[in-house]
Amino acid sequence: MRVIVAEARVPFARDGAELHAQSLVTQLRLRGHDAESVALPFHGRKHELLEEACAWRMLNLSSSNARPIDLLIATRFPTWFARHPRKVVWLIHQHRPAYDLYGTPYSDFTGSDEDRRLREQIAAMDSTMFAECGTIVTNAKNTADRLQRFNGIAARPLYHPPPIADRLHAGAYGDYILLVSRLEPLKRVDLAIAAMTHVTAPIRLVIVGDGSRRAALEREAAQRGAANRITFAGALWGDAVADLYAGARAVLYAPFDEDYGYVTLEAFLAARPVITATDSGGTLEFVRDGVNGLVCAPDASALAAAIDRLAGDRALAERLGRAGHSAARTITWDGVIEQLLG
Amino acid sequence: MTPLRILILEAQVPFVHGGAEILVRELAAALTARGHRAQIVSVPFTDSPREELLAGVEAWRLLDVTKAAGGDVDLVIPTKFPTYFASHPRKVLWLVHQHRAAYELAGTRFSDFAHTPRDVALRRRLIDIDTRALRECVGHFTIARTVSDRMLKYNGIASAALYNPPKLAGRLHAGPYGDYVLTVTRLEHVKRVDLTIDTFEKTTASVRLLIAGDGSIRHELSEYIERRGLRDRVTLLGRVDDERLIELYAGCRAVLFAPYEEDYGYVTLEAFLSRKPVITARDSGGTLEFVADGVNGYVCEPTPDALAAAVNRLAADPALAASLGERGHGVAAPITWDHVVDRLVAPQAVPA
Repeated sequence: MRVIVAEARVPFARDGAELHAQSLVTQLRLRGHDAESVALPFHGRKHELLEEACAWRMLNLSSSNARPIDLLIATRFPTWFARHPRKVVWLIHQHRPAYDLYGTPYSDFTGSDEDRRLREQIAAMDSTMFAECGTIVTNAKNTADRLQRFNGIAARPLYHPPPIADRLHAGAYGDYILLVSRLEPLKRVDLAIAAMTHVTAPIRLVIVGDGSRRAALEREAAQRGAANRITFAGALWGDAVADLYAGARAVLYAPFDEDYGYVTLEAFLAARPVITATDSGGTLEFVRDGVNGLVCAPDASALAAAIDRLAGDRALAERLGRAGHSAARTITWDGVIEQLLG
Repeated sequence: MTPLRILILEAQVPFVHGGAEILVRELAAALTARGHRAQIVSVPFTDSPREELLAGVEAWRLLDVTKAAGGDVDLVIPTKFPTYFASHPRKVLWLVHQHRAAYELAGTRFSDFAHTPRDVALRRRLIDIDTRALRECVGHFTIARTVSDRMLKYNGIASAALYNPPKLAGRLHAGPYGDYVLTVTRLEHVKRVDLTIDTFEKTTASVRLLIAGDGSIRHELSEYIERRGLRDRVTLLGRVDDERLIELYAGCRAVLFAPYEEDYGYVTLEAFLSRKPVITARDSGGTLEFVADGVNGYVCEPTPDALAAAVNRLAADPALAASLGERGHGVAAPITWDHVVDRLVAPQAVPA
């Protein structure tokens, strides 16, 4: 089949959603399909959202150079505004500041009448577009719940392996906790730094990733006197990250209401237990407290207690990590593509 | 030099991979090699049905290319219709082409625009809005003189041609002047491959034609060769990889490339970098910016007889082919990416 995977991205930025779309293109090609990505610039500032949606609506992707395109796979706002007779949505997310993030510090929408109307308009337009689509699945259960709550559409989650799945492997349960994340407010890395000030065991925190909050987070680590126990490794890719997973005692990942997050699955595929929070969203679809990780209240002392527990009990870390591995390995691209192509 | 954050604007035709796509990627690599941060913004383009042309214009007008992760975009470089409809205070055009079916191709067999009031009105409108968007650019460059001439004629805008080396530059090399003539082309009507094939009905020499490339009319051409009884003389190789192509260039007697009004065409420069003469037609457009008749190749009437005469002359005289090819090399060798980058990022980019 000739398939287009539609994505939207900020120029010069890299994030999980982009990797998701690129992986899908790669995996479709591996299975003999002619797949190509279409990616328009997207910024997500509220006063530009309608124009960005409108730009996608201008695209008629039903054919290219006089040959039909069989299927369009939309992934995130506003890719489902494109015109195509056979659209499938594999939902990564709607425009979250207009949806679930509204009313939190992570949204630029205020309580003004104007902003309320804009939010309602976006949700209504999304619903109209979703009605044009055949199959709608989501990347995670959290995403499906949100789709049900805001747009009244029932959809199943369709899980996929993380991009570095093939590189991940298990090593020794070492003397550091690993955190892999873009350094953005929603990822709540400050909480992990605060937790380290409560940790009593002789264990370090290694933070992989970069983002707009990096300088502030490094300052915070220094101010709290934890700089010698926290390493900012910067953005790393591929084997460099896989090797860090392999040698970690555990992985700490406690963002606010994450949708899916490759980190949980990456940790499990490296047989590492995951420490997460009760409000972290997508991580909870996989992490079971005391089975393959530890689920804590989203506060520094609770996270610190979990870190101390795994730092003091290597056998526990290994047992939980192995259980995680069994859960994650059943998620395959074959299953994903079969569902999407129907 | 301050490193710039640059977006190159591309019209994407999904599942079609041609010269312009390579050009844009090479430009991004050349900008990056010079210390800039460059990324490509691709928006799908379709001209079918034709009303979608205006939707494509609108899409580019709606998108914001002034901002990126971590700050402002310093410079955008539009390339084809309709990418120059993007808005940015520093828009430096490197024009590959406008929508040619509405320009010089209109009225030819290569265009779907006819002489009906509706079509004429749409053409006028496209040219008119093109002119306005092109005027917004602070620098005007094109990939070839043919393209500059066209922009001057239809849009009244002066520009400088800024040539780039072909992708295989640096890897192409000369070999023996063998017993075949090479054509490298996409198999589309506008490339006029049928004329090239007909030529070999008229050649007397024992020289063969090899055609590298694929396209929508491959099957049609294959039947055409069969019908003309030219199967022993003309071979469609289909798409070949870079290694094979380099060897095909290295071993040929000459390159024949006679499309209709080609804008630029890497084939001429690739042939010259392989020290091979180029046989072309006087209405082939961009090839004529480099091919000088009797100096580094032959410029013929676009007829099988005229092209065949040129083929025969080179078939009979390998030393002549070698000396013409050598002079072609002298034309192609000075064309570099550094020069292209210098002009496009110059602070006050203005045509020379």
